[in-house]
Amino acid sequence: MKPEDLSTKEINTWCPGCPNFGILQAVKEAVAELAIASNTAIVTGIGCHAKIYDYLNLKAFYGIHGRVLPIAFGTKLGDPQMTVIGFGGDGDTYAEGMEHFIHHCRYNADLTMLVHNNQVFSLTTGQFTPTTEKGFKDGSSPLGLGEKPFNPLVLALAAGATFVARGYALNVPHLKELIKKAILHKGFSFIDILQPCIVYHKHSLPYLNKNVYQIEKTHDLGNLNQALAKAREWDYSYEKDSKVPIGVFYQKQRPTFESQWPQLKKPWHIVGRKPDWAKIIKEFK
Amino acid sequence: MQKTILIGGAAGLGSAVTSHFIGKVFCSLGYHVFNYRDYPSLIRGGHNFNVLKISDKPVYSHEHHYDFILALDQKTIALHKKDLKKGGLILKAKEMEPKILANNVLIGIFFKHFGIDREIVLKAAEKLFGQNDSIKKAIEEGYGSTQTKEKLKVAGQGKYFISGNEGVAIGSIAAGMDLHLAYPMTPASPVLHFLAKRQLENNILVFQPENEIAVANMALGASFRGAKVMVGTSGGGFALMTEALSLAGMAELPLVIYLAQRTAPSTGVPTHTAQSDLKFALNAGHGEFAKIVVAPGDAQEAITRTEEAFYLACKYRIPAIVLGDKHLGESDYAFDQLKKFQFSGVSYPVDRANSYEHNELGFTVEDAPSVAWGHEKRLKKISLLEKAILKLNPISLYGQGKNLIVSHGSTKGAILDALPQLPGFKFLQVSYLKPFPAALVARGIKKASKVILVENSATGALADVVAEQTGLMIKNKILKYDGRPFVPADIIKRVKQK
Repeated sequence: MKPEDLSTKEINTWCPGCPNFGILQAVKEAVAELAIASNTAIVTGIGCHAKIYDYLNLKAFYGIHGRVLPIAFGTKLGDPQMTVIGFGGDGDTYAEGMEHFIHHCRYNADLTMLVHNNQVFSLTTGQFTPTTEKGFKDGSSPLGLGEKPFNPLVLALAAGATFVARGYALNVPHLKELIKKAILHKGFSFIDILQPCIVYHKHSLPYLNKNVYQIEKTHDLGNLNQALAKAREWDYSYEKDSKVPIGVFYQKQRPTFESQWPQLKKPWHIVGRKPDWAKIIKEFK
Repeated sequence: MQKTILIGGAAGLGSAVTSHFIGKVFCSLGYHVFNYRDYPSLIRGGHNFNVLKISDKPVYSHEHHYDFILALDQKTIALHKKDLKKGGLILKAKEMEPKILANNVLIGIFFKHFGIDREIVLKAAEKLFGQNDSIKKAIEEGYGSTQTKEKLKVAGQGKYFISGNEGVAIGSIAAGMDLHLAYPMTPASPVLHFLAKRQLENNILVFQPENEIAVANMALGASFRGAKVMVGTSGGGFALMTEALSLAGMAELPLVIYLAQRTAPSTGVPTHTAQSDLKFALNAGHGEFAKIVVAPGDAQEAITRTEEAFYLACKYRIPAIVLGDKHLGESDYAFDQLKKFQFSGVSYPVDRANSYEHNELGFTVEDAPSVAWGHEKRLKKISLLEKAILKLNPISLYGQGKNLIVSHGSTKGAILDALPQLPGFKFLQVSYLKPFPAALVARGIKKASKVILVENSATGALADVVAEQTGLMIKNKILKYDGRPFVPADIIKRVKQK
């Protein structure tokens, strides 16, 4: 299978030049190279990122804002043999869906979660999100945002995610490799993908192009403290130049959610059921 | 023969277990039994009580006048003595250590009073509690400490003794459910516990996610892959699920929701009952889409209506709500047989599920003709469902008379037991609330000279639903909104005043 076989005939409505095209390309290449298309389902939230539902020829669930992770988790429960990839935005995952994000880091189901982090709500015309920098002005914060952004990588590490990475939408070959590693990782894999919005958050693209660098090969993937230190190198703000590491920050094996439930073996719809009524009601007599 | 027994004590002393056990033994002797549970929201202390009604004729409700009070503490006597019938007996648990065995001594005394063979009781105890020498000894102590005053004989064939919650749970197993997801909330949690305990033997998965929003969305993810899923909750949790309910409607994913109502609004009175979420269930979810709301009236109906909910949800790919309440869920009912529904629905995986408006292939669309097409496709199901429920006894009529009592859900028991003392009244039970069997209900109402609505709510929502669906107004309403269910005496007295 070639990456272009994963295309659909739907008209792409992302803005011309949107870094989301880079993410789309990296996903197509990763899925094609792993040859997993026939048994892969994607789940999206709501926002610019979610349009990827229409652009990938895979089984797909166009979910609702903030609920990507529970829907993806349910998809995995429904068919434990399926590769499930969730796509969310930063508002989607870190605002509306924050409670789910923390718990799914803990559950460690074998899912991949890709967050298109453009540090802004774009489809709703540019409001701030939990990862928008302090001082940002928009339609809902004309006086300037008073709060600092939080760092989703630090949060994921603290919450027990077993694969934590950051990608850059404009470095497609690197992002593709990250996505492949995330899919192959047995457990909850999380990639925060920096996807600078070229309409509502214009200053991020030049900043990231200048400051993004790939994590050194010497980085110890199994060392949580090193991962936390690396994750704190950049605090998602733009006040002054700061190096922005991309790559895998942390990877550790921990039993997956599915491995702890003996019932979770095959898709439920092929489990032949013949409930035995006499046996079911026996205890009530 | 009819006996009403109140069993009370502080939480933790075993009044619920005692009552259930006594009920079960009487069921095995062929008696009809109804068991009502009343408890506050606390773990230890307070005052819990059960009312057990035992009869050689069918009985579906409890009452507030007792032949026996089985008191596990002094407070029980203080609170309920006033309701002891003339010639009634108070049996008080003795002071002993450990306290938790005192109820078993009382069980022994009670059964000895009726001359029930000790072996029957000991065998039943072993079946329910497992091999337990201290329980056995305590029951024997009770037997040894009193005389038989009244000899009860076997009334007939052994009966099944089952709660509404257990009915929902086994209905879901019989329907071929694969997953049950729920976040704990009274009074739906017993379904979660029942199914969780039996998940391996039934090869189902039972999981408690982080909140009700996750519950409903996980359920839809699994439904997307063809799993048959039921979620369980009460009003507050259901409120959190309504976003996903609308998603189920749009993406056309089967989903069964057990909504066990309790006294609301908000936290309300968590361990008490109400029927005040009827309109909420009917109208839940933004936008227009087809759904089922079906309200079982007893534990047998809880079984079959849950199975029907699965059948319709799978066949028409819609959400289906089984609308119960605390009174139905946590009361135990006796039946000669337990019947199951004859059909079962098939779920299957789909390639695309879309919360957005979409075309036949599941791709997103926004153009006017496609948006209209999507609505028409989904809403076509409403007329199909209106026909489908006609085969599923959407209403039931009981008794004879020119006057009519109209109700739904758990009030069925008290109304049925009141009916023999209400000459000229029959009872119309509405089981399907959505789609609403408007023609059948209208016919029943039009033929009646006097129509009275009975509902465990403060506003009588069913009257509004009837008005909306049939154009007919029900002005007479007997309502109860103190968190407690009706007993037949309430209904008899208030019907006679109308």
